[in-house]
Amino acid sequence: MSDNNTNKGFSFATFWQRFGTITILLLLLVVLAIARPNAVFSSTSIPQILRQSAVNILLALGEFFAILLGYIDLSISAACGLTGMCSALLMRANCPWVLACIAGVLCGTMIGALNGFMINKTGLHPFIITLGMQTVYFGLMLVVSNSSSVYGFPAGFSKFMNATLWGVLPVGAIIALITAGILWFLTARTKMGRNLYALGGNREAAWYSGINVHRHQMLVYMISGTCAGLAGIVLTGRLNAAAPTAGTGYETFAIAATIIGGTSFFGGVGKIPGVVAGGLIIGIINYGMTVMMIDASMQKVVMGALIIIAVTLDHLVSTSAKK
Amino acid sequence: MEPLIRMVGITKTFPGVKALDGISFDIMPGEVHVLIGENGAGKSTLMKILSGVYQPTSGKIICNGREYDQLSTKTSVEEGIAIVYQELSVINELSILENLFVGKLPTKKFMGLSVVDFKSMREKAKVVLEQVGLHHDPDTLVGDLAVPDKQLCEIAKALVSGAKVIVLDEPTTSLTTSEVERLHGLIRELKAKGCGIVYISHKMKELKAIGDRITVLKDGTYVGTYPAAEITLDELIKLMVGREIKGTYFADESVDELMTHPVIFEAQGITRSDRTCRDISFQLHEGEILGFAGLVGAGRTETMEAIFGAVPKSSGKVFLKGKELHIKEPYAAIKQGLGMLTEDRRKLGFAKNFTCKQNISIEPYIKESTWGGLGGMLSNAKEEKWANEQISALNVKCTGPEQMTVDLSGGNQQKVILGKWMAAGSEVLIFDEPTKGIDVGSKSEIYILMRKLAKAGKGVLMISSEQTELLSVCDRIAVFHGGELKAVLEGKTATEEDIVRISTTE
Repeated sequence: MSDNNTNKGFSFATFWQRFGTITILLLLLVVLAIARPNAVFSSTSIPQILRQSAVNILLALGEFFAILLGYIDLSISAACGLTGMCSALLMRANCPWVLACIAGVLCGTMIGALNGFMINKTGLHPFIITLGMQTVYFGLMLVVSNSSSVYGFPAGFSKFMNATLWGVLPVGAIIALITAGILWFLTARTKMGRNLYALGGNREAAWYSGINVHRHQMLVYMISGTCAGLAGIVLTGRLNAAAPTAGTGYETFAIAATIIGGTSFFGGVGKIPGVVAGGLIIGIINYGMTVMMIDASMQKVVMGALIIIAVTLDHLVSTSAKK
Repeated sequence: MEPLIRMVGITKTFPGVKALDGISFDIMPGEVHVLIGENGAGKSTLMKILSGVYQPTSGKIICNGREYDQLSTKTSVEEGIAIVYQELSVINELSILENLFVGKLPTKKFMGLSVVDFKSMREKAKVVLEQVGLHHDPDTLVGDLAVPDKQLCEIAKALVSGAKVIVLDEPTTSLTTSEVERLHGLIRELKAKGCGIVYISHKMKELKAIGDRITVLKDGTYVGTYPAAEITLDELIKLMVGREIKGTYFADESVDELMTHPVIFEAQGITRSDRTCRDISFQLHEGEILGFAGLVGAGRTETMEAIFGAVPKSSGKVFLKGKELHIKEPYAAIKQGLGMLTEDRRKLGFAKNFTCKQNISIEPYIKESTWGGLGGMLSNAKEEKWANEQISALNVKCTGPEQMTVDLSGGNQQKVILGKWMAAGSEVLIFDEPTKGIDVGSKSEIYILMRKLAKAGKGVLMISSEQTELLSVCDRIAVFHGGELKAVLEGKTATEEDIVRISTTE
């Protein structure tokens, strides 16, 4: 909701508010292109980056809605893992893979609805509820999978999930982009979306304006859960297996992508395209570190540091804009 | 006898307002000095200068023979001044004992280290708790105490710090009669020990019972100081009120004529679940503005919140043009044609992340939405139309529909809020303190707008704590006291004294 840039002249802060995320994205690409030209200018690099980013983008899209309300959803990582596992088990039980995928996504929606229900009924901060539910869902995943990986899916599923459109767009990325398109429409063109911004800006004022807080909260967590469900399917497809610990730590990436994408942690400000860019940034950082042969443990250290740097930069610029 | 504290010629200006103008005030040892005045008269500002929260623009403060141009919060405490605010400042998470010594824990040396001296703490605490009559175990968490006991704890805290001057700001608002008696007993004991007490209250009867001298403030100026024994309540009320009324905004018709108009809005027996308002009934006729007077917490806002569905009501019915409305949440109220301009604009009035256009569009969107507010599309053309219409109709001073509402002045924010209800075509509008914190020019504009709405057949209800405002705008005024509607006065003939008398005396 930062369309108020009717200012005269050029200001770095305004520029940053609008194009900061894209700038970071381009900078990262340039840095990577200089350090490892082969990793960027090759026919496989783009699909590779997109494939890695799809899950991040999907999870970030869900997280965006919770953060837009000034809340958070920590359970998406576990929801992603659990829904992927459910679909995997269904496929192993000879359920047609399309049905299994749909069931997985719906499972995500139901997980979100359960989160929303508990948040509305208890009145506790969603941080607490979703933190607890994250553990519950991770636990359930271990229970239903007997703590072992599930693999060996129908050929149709593997083929579909590993297909690419025009040789550049993997199916996972297409799913993420379609989801982003629908959610963009929801936030930018429907009353419900506008209500969410009002709620995030000022919950009590929204209530007095006739916006039912509980109904919207429920919806937000259902969206978040559905996105986690989609991410679960895409993740299972990419790995061609469902691990009993899949998704661990993904909520951090989702939160980071959302914030880097220009969403205010205090609620009420942010846009879907920014979130998509944020998810891509996380994907590129991951990809970049892999091609630069940084080992997996060190990648985590770098990732954490980069997230803090990005958010600090964003914070500094936006506070200086207010002066 | 020398006064404990003497404030001489205190003036305090805030940008644009003179809050205090040459006020003099003193406190003698062993007296209860009552400070009265209407909301905004300057009582709190004066006490904040005494406690060092505000610095006076000019004037002197003489404490125990030492002269100051201004006090800091630290020197104020050192000079033995303690203030017990209406919103108590005890820390619920700490015990009584810890609260008493917060920030000044006694210490002793133990193996070369400075450690808290619990023994001397307990001894001291025992003495003061005995004195104030708080008979709880000092280790009880303050959060577990009832409000009157918290207040005693706060007074005990003042005594621990060696206060000689204790200011009690509206100390009896939430006390029962017997608790008031207990507090007054304690005040008399403190008096006998030579303490000076400043007692601020709206409850007239109490003032006569406990006060020795009474100082009256009005609009930031000093009216006079009178011995409590020699002045009557009626005289005091006259001194507090009696401002000039500038311009009237009444209906052209007389109240008798207005009463013949059809009833457009009616409330019957509104009682809130938390009982902050009980059995409130009133009727609003077409063309009239009905005012609501009373002290803060008397049940006016509470009633309106219940009617509007923002908080649950346990019983009561609401009718719009003879049709009963069923309201469980503000959404339902809005769909059926009600609108409410809340008192706290910044907190409840508008979305701070929205432009004027977006804020104005909230209510018309809600009005025509489906699925409980979730269904429906946005339309930029409609938003433009609503925003432009209201901005020009209400003369909102802004750079355009795209300006952020939060960047506007208070008066213009209020107009944006009014604009969203107008755009939604609300039939009945509840104005809760519509001119609070708004400059004089915008105030007058808002009164004129309200009258226009009433003339156009909309229902207008107005809550205000400014009697002059009610007396120059409202055709009838309902006066609240203690959660009940006590009387309905006629705006043209009622006086401020009438309102103050009904809203302050039981």
